[in-house]
Amino acid sequence: MAGRWRGILILAVLAAASLLVVGLPMWLIQPFRPQTPRRLEVSFLLRKWAPLATLALASFAVFCCLKLWRSSPGPFRRTIMLLLVAVSILPAWVARQNLFEKMFRPLASPSFARTDEATFLEPGDRVMGVELNGEAAAYPIRALAYHHLVNDVVGGVPIVATY
Amino acid sequence: MWERRLNGSELRFHLAGINNENFIMQDDTSGSWWQQVTGRAFLGPRKGWALPRVPHDEVSFARWKEEHPTTRVLRPESTAVARYASANWEEKMRDYPVVTPRRKGEPFEDRDLIVGVEAGRVSKAYLLSDLAKGGPVNDRLGDLPILLVTFEEGRSVRAFDRTLPEGAGEFYWEAGEKPASLIDSGTGSRWDLRGVAMSGPLAGQKLRRIEPLLDFWFDWKTYHPDTEAYKAGR
Repeated sequence: MAGRWRGILILAVLAAASLLVVGLPMWLIQPFRPQTPRRLEVSFLLRKWAPLATLALASFAVFCCLKLWRSSPGPFRRTIMLLLVAVSILPAWVARQNLFEKMFRPLASPSFARTDEATFLEPGDRVMGVELNGEAAAYPIRALAYHHLVNDVVGGVPIVATY
Repeated sequence: MWERRLNGSELRFHLAGINNENFIMQDDTSGSWWQQVTGRAFLGPRKGWALPRVPHDEVSFARWKEEHPTTRVLRPESTAVARYASANWEEKMRDYPVVTPRRKGEPFEDRDLIVGVEAGRVSKAYLLSDLAKGGPVNDRLGDLPILLVTFEEGRSVRAFDRTLPEGAGEFYWEAGEKPASLIDSGTGSRWDLRGVAMSGPLAGQKLRRIEPLLDFWFDWKTYHPDTEAYKAGR
């Protein structure tokens, strides 16, 4: 009896581990929650190793599923096994995404206008401005408050404008 | 605003997360995590590196354009513009929770907007609404005589080293003048908001700019635990 459920048990553990690897840093560094150096370090390490760890867990889940398929008879058990394998594979995909960048869409190639073309701004709109080696660039605050950072080169100096 | 060239390598930054409401940047060559407000790496192979600060200005588009007529302007990203913050988002943030621990006797409220300045090991915070109320503030940051001026209805701030050839200058607004200009009481010279003397004995002189940081109090105090606080009328 226990042997019949062994496949499901193993796959459930693998799925849970997989979810934990990507879920824990998400939970630890969510906005409006306090972060401590320790929590940040755990998140950093999990994020760093998540692509590899989730791939290993997903591969192992597929392997176990194939191995245990025969000893787990019945469509019900097998459906659950397949679902658990799917749940193990999903974090491997999530670990390869930058969710923060999905939320705030960083400007991969920021586009600029001359002042006479900048009809999208009112005179009173606030900007963050920088001038380096005779070249000036302005980043509207409302845009920066959303994208949070812009990688740029001003006057030959590579800069990152942050807000 | 940071220079992203350090020890011979050019870095490219991405968003990586949030640390007590200040975001974390990740450079894509080493994967290290950097704090946005300090420009320092705190985790990963580049831990301890500090990005050089780039002087910048936070003013109205009109003023920026006037002072830099050839400036280029970042275009809004068409797919994201609907989600851009409203112009008064800082006021809207007031009601969001603050997670930073609060100590007894702190001079300001967590979400008070402050202007922070630092020189060497000394740092000081000024309540933006205090600065906006009165004339320019002639103050000292450690040994350094500094001048803080607000303009554009108190939303823009600039800070200067007010050391003049004859010692520290005392500045006040020139009455009724539009655009606003400053007078130093020692020589009577007239200065514009860029800190350039336009007329008088010091005409052509330029005050050294100091970088002010507009920040919420809870964030400033986290990274400047020994900060002094300026209280108007004290």
